[in-house]
Amino acid sequence: MTKAVRDRPRGTALARRVTGHVVRGLVMIWVVATISFVIIREIPGDPVQGMYESLLQKGMSPDQAERATAVLYGFLPTGSLWDQYVGYMWSLLHFDLGRSLSTPGVAVTSLIGSAARWTVLPVLAGTLLSFLLGVIMGVYAAIKRSGKLGDLLALSGSLLHGIPVYVIGLLLTAIFTTLWPILPSGGPVDVAFVPGLNAGYIGSLIHHAVLPVVTYTLASYGGWILAMKSNVVAVLGDDFILAAELRGLKRGIVFRYLARNAILPLFTILALSIGMLFGGSIFIEEIFNYPGLGLLLVNSISTRDYALMGGTFLVITVGIVVANIVADLLYTAIDPRVRSGEAA
Amino acid sequence: MKRLAAIAALASIATATACGSTGQENAGQGGIYTTIDGDKQINASAPINPFNPVGSVFDGYNGMALAWPKNDPIDPNQFYPAIARSWTSSPDQSEVVIHLQPNARWSDGKPVTSEDIRVSIGLAYTQGGTAYALDPKAAGAAATIQVVDPTTIRITQGANKSNTFLSNLLSTVVVPAHVYGSLLPRDFWQKLKLAQDGKGKPAERAKTEITGLADKVIGFAPRQDVSAGPFVLERINPGAALLKRNPYFYDSKLIGPDKVELLNYTGNQQIWNYLIAGKLDNAPFTSVPSAVLDRIRAVKGSQVIKGFSPVSTSLAFNQARKPYDNVHVRRALAYLIDRAQVTKIAAPEGGTPSLTTSGIHAEAAKVWLGSAFSGLDPYRLDPAKAAAELKAAGMTRRGNKWALPDGKPWKVEIHVPASFSDWISAAKSISSQLTDHGVDATVVTAADYTLYLSELAAGKYDVGFWLMGLGPSPYNIYQRLYGQANGWQMFGGRLEHVAPGTEGNWMGGPETVDVTGAGRVDPGALTSRLSFASAGEQKQIVGTLAKVSNEQLPVIQLWDYVNTQFVNTSRYTGFPPDDSEALRLSSGVWMQLGMIRKRQA
Repeated sequence: MTKAVRDRPRGTALARRVTGHVVRGLVMIWVVATISFVIIREIPGDPVQGMYESLLQKGMSPDQAERATAVLYGFLPTGSLWDQYVGYMWSLLHFDLGRSLSTPGVAVTSLIGSAARWTVLPVLAGTLLSFLLGVIMGVYAAIKRSGKLGDLLALSGSLLHGIPVYVIGLLLTAIFTTLWPILPSGGPVDVAFVPGLNAGYIGSLIHHAVLPVVTYTLASYGGWILAMKSNVVAVLGDDFILAAELRGLKRGIVFRYLARNAILPLFTILALSIGMLFGGSIFIEEIFNYPGLGLLLVNSISTRDYALMGGTFLVITVGIVVANIVADLLYTAIDPRVRSGEAA
Repeated sequence: MKRLAAIAALASIATATACGSTGQENAGQGGIYTTIDGDKQINASAPINPFNPVGSVFDGYNGMALAWPKNDPIDPNQFYPAIARSWTSSPDQSEVVIHLQPNARWSDGKPVTSEDIRVSIGLAYTQGGTAYALDPKAAGAAATIQVVDPTTIRITQGANKSNTFLSNLLSTVVVPAHVYGSLLPRDFWQKLKLAQDGKGKPAERAKTEITGLADKVIGFAPRQDVSAGPFVLERINPGAALLKRNPYFYDSKLIGPDKVELLNYTGNQQIWNYLIAGKLDNAPFTSVPSAVLDRIRAVKGSQVIKGFSPVSTSLAFNQARKPYDNVHVRRALAYLIDRAQVTKIAAPEGGTPSLTTSGIHAEAAKVWLGSAFSGLDPYRLDPAKAAAELKAAGMTRRGNKWALPDGKPWKVEIHVPASFSDWISAAKSISSQLTDHGVDATVVTAADYTLYLSELAAGKYDVGFWLMGLGPSPYNIYQRLYGQANGWQMFGGRLEHVAPGTEGNWMGGPETVDVTGAGRVDPGALTSRLSFASAGEQKQIVGTLAKVSNEQLPVIQLWDYVNTQFVNTSRYTGFPPDDSEALRLSSGVWMQLGMIRKRQA
């Protein structure tokens, strides 16, 4: 029997598996889009009145405030809920998320696109950095669990895991922007630099990303280290580790056995975390005035920008659904037990 | 191979960054003036278009109007010249002639002409608004726009006159005809005439076509900024906007800084951080707690400028609900609230306790009412008077609590939006004071301001916080108390009073009331007259409405706002002094007025 013939059933099974995931994902996206459409329109509050009163609060004269808000009336969603739903779904099929109410004249896709780049980079960097640190430190914490280093690492994980992200963010802001002002307190990049591949602009980007990335890393590091430590401790008791040690295998090889098996469940969480990053990190973006998707979502809710709210929810949903599919396929790829089960 | 590719990519980036400049363009000797735009947050996705509410056009910098309003307590028609160098108006404002700055130029070098103003007005019609209403019955709508010569334009007012016509005209945003002109169809002015003067379907069709242009105008995105202001947008990102000098600005010699950086913010806390870090040369009015204010004051060069702000905060009643339909109950509550205490807790820097309830900010009320102001009941803290009023309303005292006339417990729920910390503090203070005097009061918060306003308008609250005294126009001031929120609305050019609980009437006050010395009056009708009455009649009406408000208490005026501006004199000097008429305008306008100079070393 040739290799190609041998591989055919496995390839077919994989294709069937992927197709199933995609179909389920599409159904999930439709369900979430429908639910979010209904919920969003049931939120009480008139956005135009809200904007008008907010402008008055800022000291704008009623005439000025009226002029500023009047222009928005033409963009309020009209028609029955069903008509709006049909229109929304039709637009979705054409990848059109509509136009923003809070940023009139601008397409929601354009707003989400520009916010996404400010979310993906710092959150992705923070997620990967915390994962890397958490996994490495988790292994050490498990191996050295009866020593002081192990206790210290576990304690650091528990502590950081227990502190809310906004507390870490505010603390870092107070320390590095007020007490010892070496980092910028807000914004994604200094506007004085011409955007492009120049040292000043790139340096400014990194300079502004330090605090959000560090905050995100510290906030999620605790979870990774505790999960990894627990997994490693569980694997350490497995027979194959004992067998490897009895066979006199090198420590490096035993460590690899250990890490590969302990890290498996964390990969799923990592894939989901990466999917979740499309939701941004509301607190971090709010504290550091980082104009990402989380901040966009919060602002869209406060201004009752239905189209933008729906669009942002949808992007988050798609991110999570895709991450789920990727996590499942990744698990298949890295865990031989799943592969063999599939082949059988 | 992969490693080689990675090394090559890194080397390319390193070379590119090393060979490239630092990317920073130096400002000249005037330096970079750093501030924030208090009216809107920066939205880098929005077009550079003043008709877009979040557009990247900033008043006084790259956004220009015909003139800038002065902070006059009673006259809304007081302005500083801007693109309009001067103007004349007939006594009833039926005709206004505007003379433009002869040297005004756009940032691309082209002159600013009357045609630019005509196009700007045409575009303003697509957006609607007081002076540019398509409805011929609307008060204060412009009727004809005539270009007299390249720097003179004459505008007449329609049949229904408004005494704020001049003010609304001068507030017109000015855009270049050579950039925005194509947005108006060739037959726009004929269509406008048909919409305003025509009848039947053709007129309606013309109106629809003109308002249908609004979408196109708002979404219009010029490729680059063309400004007649002292600055022009150089670059924008979600964190800040950078503006550089417009070399063609008509009064360029008055402008000190070379560049202006407008920082973005997500909330007040970020503005406080900027101020504490000494980053801002000026920050417009921001609500600040005392502890934060002390830290801001401690920053080198930090100063606070204060002046008149025509806004007041009040506790408003839904008079359609018992027992607040009874004026004695409202008066009793007024006698039980120590406004000084409330203000001290809620707005120690940004407000002064209201001297009484007149419907008007005290500064303006003194000018409007003269000696009559001191004749109003000040409603000083007086539990004995409160008790007498409650008894007059039929309320009974059961143990240490007041009860409703039918013996049921009286519970006062004070509603506030969760996002307004000063209002929440005030509500808690009031609740505590009322509880001390035997009135069972609690504070209920709404999730956000939008929800709060929606529920307030739906008549769901008995008692809630409400902005009032929005001057300087007396019509705007009393519109907050005797306008749509209290049942008076214009239907087809006729004023009508709708029943409480309908059409946004949540205040639920009576259509007519008896007032000492004035007999039975209709406050809504009087308010409506304020929009076209002569100066003498306005004064008389304001006197009557102040008395109505003082006797009937549809609201209890709590504190009058103080415009509190923060400036830092480390880098620039020449900021406006306390109580300056320019205080509520942007730093860009201050620069146009010859203020703000670079500090000399």
